[in-house]
Amino acid sequence: MNPTSVLPIVEKYNNRRGSLISILEEIQSQYGYLPSEALQVVADRTGRSLVDIYGVATFYKAFRLKPRGKHLICTCLGTACHVRGGPSIAQEFEGQLGIKRTGETTPDKEFTLETVMCLGACALGPIVVADGHYFPNVTTSQVKTIIGRTREGLDKIEVQKDKRIFPVEVACPRCNHTLMDPDHLVDGHPSIRVTVSFGEEHGWLRLSSLYGSYTIETGSEIPMGTIAHFFCPHCHAELIGASNCMACEAPMVPMIVQGGAIVQICSRRGCRSHMLDLDATAVT
Amino acid sequence: MEKYLLPDIRDLHRIDVYEAHGGYKAFRKALQMKTEDVTEEVKKSGLKGRGGACFPTGLKWTFMPKQSDKPKYLCVNGDESEPGTFKDRQIFEFNPHLMIEGTLIAAYAMGGSISYIYVRGEYGKWIKMIEKALHDAYAKGYIGQNILGSGFSTEIIVHRGAGAYICGEESALMNSIEGDRGYPRVKPPFPAQNGLWGRATTINNVETISNVPLIIDRGWEWYSKIGAPKYPGPILVGVSGHVNKPGVYELPTGVPLLEIIHKYAGGVPGNKAIKAVFPGGSSTMVLRGDQLEGVCMDAESLKAAGSSVGTAGLIVMDEDTDLIKVIARIAKFYYHESCGQCTPCREGTGWLWKILNRFENGEGRWEDIDLLLDVANNVEGNTICALGDAAAWPVQSMVRRFRDEFERRAKIPRPKVLEAVAV
Repeated sequence: MNPTSVLPIVEKYNNRRGSLISILEEIQSQYGYLPSEALQVVADRTGRSLVDIYGVATFYKAFRLKPRGKHLICTCLGTACHVRGGPSIAQEFEGQLGIKRTGETTPDKEFTLETVMCLGACALGPIVVADGHYFPNVTTSQVKTIIGRTREGLDKIEVQKDKRIFPVEVACPRCNHTLMDPDHLVDGHPSIRVTVSFGEEHGWLRLSSLYGSYTIETGSEIPMGTIAHFFCPHCHAELIGASNCMACEAPMVPMIVQGGAIVQICSRRGCRSHMLDLDATAVT
Repeated sequence: MEKYLLPDIRDLHRIDVYEAHGGYKAFRKALQMKTEDVTEEVKKSGLKGRGGACFPTGLKWTFMPKQSDKPKYLCVNGDESEPGTFKDRQIFEFNPHLMIEGTLIAAYAMGGSISYIYVRGEYGKWIKMIEKALHDAYAKGYIGQNILGSGFSTEIIVHRGAGAYICGEESALMNSIEGDRGYPRVKPPFPAQNGLWGRATTINNVETISNVPLIIDRGWEWYSKIGAPKYPGPILVGVSGHVNKPGVYELPTGVPLLEIIHKYAGGVPGNKAIKAVFPGGSSTMVLRGDQLEGVCMDAESLKAAGSSVGTAGLIVMDEDTDLIKVIARIAKFYYHESCGQCTPCREGTGWLWKILNRFENGEGRWEDIDLLLDVANNVEGNTICALGDAAAWPVQSMVRRFRDEFERRAKIPRPKVLEAVAV
């Protein structure tokens, strides 16, 4: 890793009191663990000793000093899950993945197996969490399926089957010209075409018109975390709303949905924040 | 019974729905009252903390300095890490504005300039929901500068924990907000004198604070008549373990445990007998299944039965449960979560787990049974915070109430000579 890439995170907090845990959380969300070089940078920049930083990093369960596998499977062994058979579930996972001890990663770096003391969802026990997806009332016979589905990717949405996903048709809030591109399909539906610019780059961006799908296609790859400016390809006005993203504070991009609603998406690459406002009538 | 904390109203997490059902009315009312009258109202209602210690909430508020030019803080404890407890999450998801309203009233009563809502790190999804609710409340002018033209200003910040059981302890929680290891602090000084950032601070549980708007809205007399007289109000009971319908049930305090298990939670699967229950989460004393008759979910009744109400996380274990495995598991939890500051807890919890592990593997010795009690007794009360007690109580009660299980599992049986003495 390049230690200087940690600098913006540390500087964002401006050495504010009480910000150390937030800094470590952000570093970990970027790298998946806390690299020792990063901790050294944090120590240098905050003026605290490395041993202090290390102390905090090892105290909290959420922080890891070692990289983890691609997928994380976590079995709850809290008291309630324990009495309902949590340990045999954990054992089954260990057996099927060939992992000897919890906390270890398979040699192909695909799976890391962990246990947790209590997830606060005792009514659903025994619980397994795979990549953030909760599986309630797990039995040992389901272990194989869970591993299989996790390997395929649980975040992968089955566009055709998922009822939460529906296509929307959108137009520019300035000139009201449709943004739909029927000739270029994304997810099997007409895509939404806009022009984007970031840094020195300009290009096209096609978004899936399925509400709930995050598939995009771009002319030039936008780096993760970059805030892009969105423009209407017809009137060339910048699509910029009054509000900022609630998750990352980047500006939101408004578009009119046919039928009278307004959909806003976050302009930061990788941020999945979006809002569908069914009451809205106009946007300036 | 009518539900107040988690009423059956669709989309109550949305601020417009919450307002349409009388939301923020109590806060508006409180703003018209004198701050000491608000505290007095809560004090008279008899509300006691729902985080486990059962401390009278109104009394706690009076410990805050009245006249002070320094900032004062309020922490709302949503760390909720006690095994068997999952009630606060229901408030975060279904009625976050009730908690926010309660926080605002408490901040007004004590003159708190900033309130922190401390939520455990594992609750990522719910943190987003709370942030959305706060965002809406800010937009409506309930939080911020000169709220509703009253001249009162306060801020609310959500703080995300990072996965440490000990941070549910109030002074560890403050250290965690300050960005340090969650080490509990020596008391005194108490948080009301020297808390967060060295200023006066009050820490209340999420459920406790969510009861406050009810008291202000309908008055202390109404509130004090709900449930058990000495521990009044609605209470969120989380039932888990061997029951047909595990879940969180809102009930008045004082409902018999057997009624909760059989009437609300649908009884034990296969109509098996109840061997044991933890009435209030894994750190409360375990009760035998045959001593539950007449015991109610109320601080007094559970105290008389030799346990405590804790966080009302009822864990039910049927007759086929291996209690040795259960208690070994619980001991391992406290060993893992001990912060390591105090020697009795750091060493004692590990020692307890080691002995219980021996029993689990069929290697237990006769004298280990008394050794367990001896170690637990020397942890209890000899630590800075209550984690030591929480680790000792389940072990002590398990050995006292299920001694026969331990005796049966001991590899080296009772020595002959002792037998002679006993006869």
